[in-house]
Amino acid sequence: MTRLLLKRLVQLPIILLAVYTLTFMLTWLIPGSPLEKSEARQPPPEVVAAMESQYRLDDPWYFYWDYLGNATGVSWILGERNGPIVDLGPSLRHENWNVNEILAAQLPVSMTLGLLAMLMACIIGIITGTMAAAKPGSWLDLLSLLIALIGISLPAFVTGTALLLVGGLWLDWFPVSGWGRPTHMILPALALSLPFAAYIGRLIRAGMLEQMASDHVRTLRALGLPERTILLRHCLRNAFLPVLSYLGPATAAAMTGSFVVERVFAVPGVGNHFIEAVLGKDITLIMGVVLVYSALLVIFNLLVDLLYGWLDPRIRLA
Amino acid sequence: MSRLALPLVLLVLLLVGLVAIDEPRPRADLVVSGENEVFTLDPQRMSYLADMRLAYALYEGLLRWNTTDFSLEPAAAESWAVSDDGRVLEFDLRAGSRWSDGSPVMADDFAWSWMRLLLPDTAADYSNLFFSIEGAREFWDWRQSQLDGFAMDPWEQKKHKERVRAVRGMLNRFSALQEADPRPLEIQWLITDPESLHAERMLLQSALDSGSTERLQEAIEQAHVHRAMVRELDDPQSRVAEARWMWDQVEPAYESTVGIRVEDDGRRLVVELDRPVPYFPDLLAFAPSSPVHRPTVEGWKVDPKVHELIVQKGWQAVDLPLLEQRANLELSADTGRLIQSHRWARPDSLVSNGPYQLDEWRYKRDMRLSKSPTYHDHELAGFNTIEIRSIPDPNTAVLAFQKGEIDWLTGVAADCRIDMLEQMRLYKQTHGIDAPHLPGIELPDAGPGQRRNIHAIPVFGTDFFSFNCRPELADGRPNPFAEAAVRRGFAMATDKESIVTNVTRLREPVASTLVPVGSIQGYESPAGLEFDPEAARRALAEAGWRDRNDDGQLEDPEGVPFPAVELLYTTGSPRFARMAVELRDQWQRHLGIQVVLIGQDTKFFKDDLRKGNFMVARGRWYGDYGDPTTFLELCRSTDGNNDRGFSDPEVDAALDAAAQEADASKRLRDLARLEARLFQEDMPLIPVCQLVDITMYDPGHLSGVTHHPRLTHYLWKLRPVVEPSP
Repeated sequence: MTRLLLKRLVQLPIILLAVYTLTFMLTWLIPGSPLEKSEARQPPPEVVAAMESQYRLDDPWYFYWDYLGNATGVSWILGERNGPIVDLGPSLRHENWNVNEILAAQLPVSMTLGLLAMLMACIIGIITGTMAAAKPGSWLDLLSLLIALIGISLPAFVTGTALLLVGGLWLDWFPVSGWGRPTHMILPALALSLPFAAYIGRLIRAGMLEQMASDHVRTLRALGLPERTILLRHCLRNAFLPVLSYLGPATAAAMTGSFVVERVFAVPGVGNHFIEAVLGKDITLIMGVVLVYSALLVIFNLLVDLLYGWLDPRIRLA
Repeated sequence: MSRLALPLVLLVLLLVGLVAIDEPRPRADLVVSGENEVFTLDPQRMSYLADMRLAYALYEGLLRWNTTDFSLEPAAAESWAVSDDGRVLEFDLRAGSRWSDGSPVMADDFAWSWMRLLLPDTAADYSNLFFSIEGAREFWDWRQSQLDGFAMDPWEQKKHKERVRAVRGMLNRFSALQEADPRPLEIQWLITDPESLHAERMLLQSALDSGSTERLQEAIEQAHVHRAMVRELDDPQSRVAEARWMWDQVEPAYESTVGIRVEDDGRRLVVELDRPVPYFPDLLAFAPSSPVHRPTVEGWKVDPKVHELIVQKGWQAVDLPLLEQRANLELSADTGRLIQSHRWARPDSLVSNGPYQLDEWRYKRDMRLSKSPTYHDHELAGFNTIEIRSIPDPNTAVLAFQKGEIDWLTGVAADCRIDMLEQMRLYKQTHGIDAPHLPGIELPDAGPGQRRNIHAIPVFGTDFFSFNCRPELADGRPNPFAEAAVRRGFAMATDKESIVTNVTRLREPVASTLVPVGSIQGYESPAGLEFDPEAARRALAEAGWRDRNDDGQLEDPEGVPFPAVELLYTTGSPRFARMAVELRDQWQRHLGIQVVLIGQDTKFFKDDLRKGNFMVARGRWYGDYGDPTTFLELCRSTDGNNDRGFSDPEVDAALDAAAQEADASKRLRDLARLEARLFQEDMPLIPVCQLVDITMYDPGHLSGVTHHPRLTHYLWKLRPVVEPSP
């Protein structure tokens, strides 16, 4: 266990460096300049050139190392600059803000939404999966299949808009836009949870069916245990293990924000930066978001591995 | 199962914790939302409408517009006077107007804010708006040349244009250093060989004057003494000292060269222009000329006693703190530029002088304004609190409006707007109401299938398609559009009415000229070319393109067919793709010409425009100030936004003459004649339609939204409509 932990902790910086380098190369390939404004007047070319040199946009090599030093805190430790230990730089497009502030304000929003969505996904998935497995082929099974199909195949901007129309406008139960109250969170979390719920439901159903055909369940049945106890206490428990390994990357993905869901429900999270920062070539913001996202992804996978070993003593990861 | 429960409980606890961080806010008196994000609250750095709308709420310029007819009203200035020759303007400031920290608004605030605007270091998009002030252009050029001399190495430049800048900068730098008295000791200024230095200087200067690439190159290569001295100056400590020394000259230079003076104990501002500019007062109502509060912008670190004095008498009453004591400023030893941090434009630190103050700003989420207690006119603003909410998705924005979460939505972009506009038309027809937004009109409720809360307001902008007017295309092929007759032909083969009814479906007013009709007081828009396929074919025949072998395509006298027209558009919005497809069909139908559509992402598109790598490209322009030149300058050969490469000395001369004309009405007539010529003969672009802003609000609940094409909304003008009690 400790070895696994150590190994992963050594891996983390290497993975992050690789991601950083690759993203950096890709962002540099985007044409245009973050200082350029679409549909608006341009400052004189000599001014643009001077601004580019101020942000070091004319020197990728310097930018690469400088940003890396600031983002990892190395330059702070070396005493080259003051301010926060991890400095992800100023936003090139939104000059009144820096990337640290943007992420500090918006990451908690995305994380809340993601966690709530995963919670909903687990609940919906377990219920539909168990229902389906209890009587395979019945209308309950069909219903759960339908929910799964909708969740997996319909894109979020369709389910999201439908949820807005039904829950927000027709039923008038939830607000349409905004963030801050628990009621704001229900609809976007539901929209975000659907694909995950569908996947979890299918995993549970398959796992349950396998369990129900197994020897130990037959023994339980022969012992005369009520069917409900067998299902909930014995089958579900074992059927949940595959779900767990799926939950790691899924939670990380849900927590770092979904561009579509956040956009449709006007949720002020980090998801929309993935697109907008790239479109605007806001290099510092792109790099900041990608670095934070990768770190979260690696950490969550590690957490799930640890959890897995703790839950299932058979798998002691050496 | 118990082991599973623990992570679940932890998860729920984390969730509750995260929810608790975010406390909900009560609804503001007015909630508005627009399509665009706010980029900056620093007025000198603004160039977007959404930003400027906030500037008009937070800051108060000298003058402001009457938003019904766009005449000017006093704002921070109590009164103003223009001299008989139109060159000197005097503004008397309102006594008792205050910044939100309590300090008085003085003429120095304006003089200093405009220096920021005129400083290349600020990189303001609108610096050139003020270039008609006496000495302003010289000041800008002087500072830019100073920076060029400091940052550009003449021996490293590859392009002639840059080499000219670098050499000129170097010569200016040397003469400034030579004359400097006292010169800081850290600057490594050592003249070893004065005679050679002088000889080289003469050589460089004459090479510059000759404009010859080769001579300049030669002169630079022989300038060994200059080179050695520049290398001496490259010493890091010397550069730091020199950047500082350069900066110390900026403010005195501004005061001595630029025609902006403070008189009458800081209550009067006198502006001297280098020529009469009839629309100059109009510029003073424009957001980038708003004043900012110097101690805030520069981040002065002063002790409480001095702060007290600033609040009582204004910052000009105290000694300027050292550069090190101004937290937001930093001099770059690399470029010599003053680097300004813009972080002051935030709720906890922003000091402003407008009717509203900034209470809260959460990035890409919301912004809250409340009436400023220090503003001189408490009755001016209608709503006590205003929330500006960010809703990126156009459909969600409409739903939020429908639900009453938003009171006023601008820039409605959802596809359903077309159907909603139809419902509005039905409402107007049924009840015989033409302009429901005007006050005093009894508004019946909207019946089924009708609505009264969406409005299409024609604005100060035009959609057009640009021709590449350069003699050759970027790849060296001859350019058929270099000929004006061909351009006229294509313009007359364009059925704009069909575009606005069938393609955009917003029924924008079609345009045959560039300046939106009726947007500028006293300007009579000329007529342009109308849709006329017959005349279009004649125009092309006149240029030598006709169908010579009856294959339905046009050929030149040698039988070479008209090249396939490359039509460049941006893919960001379906609008332009649809317009491009329609144009292709129309030109194929009416002219028998093949059109190739090239959709590009904005970034690539801009690149192609700059390089002239297109035949026809989509374009759009919004006017900035109330004068036709805000549009017509696009046709000047040297204009930075002349994407078409259109160049005609007569047009340039006409624009210059208009700039010198003192008689305002003759000037407008001359400009109308110029526009007539541009859009009856030269046709550098095909105007398609005036743009419309689609906005949603219920005129039965909200009043004060202007429907004037200048599209400047003052948030403080908005008022709730009080229902008459039955």
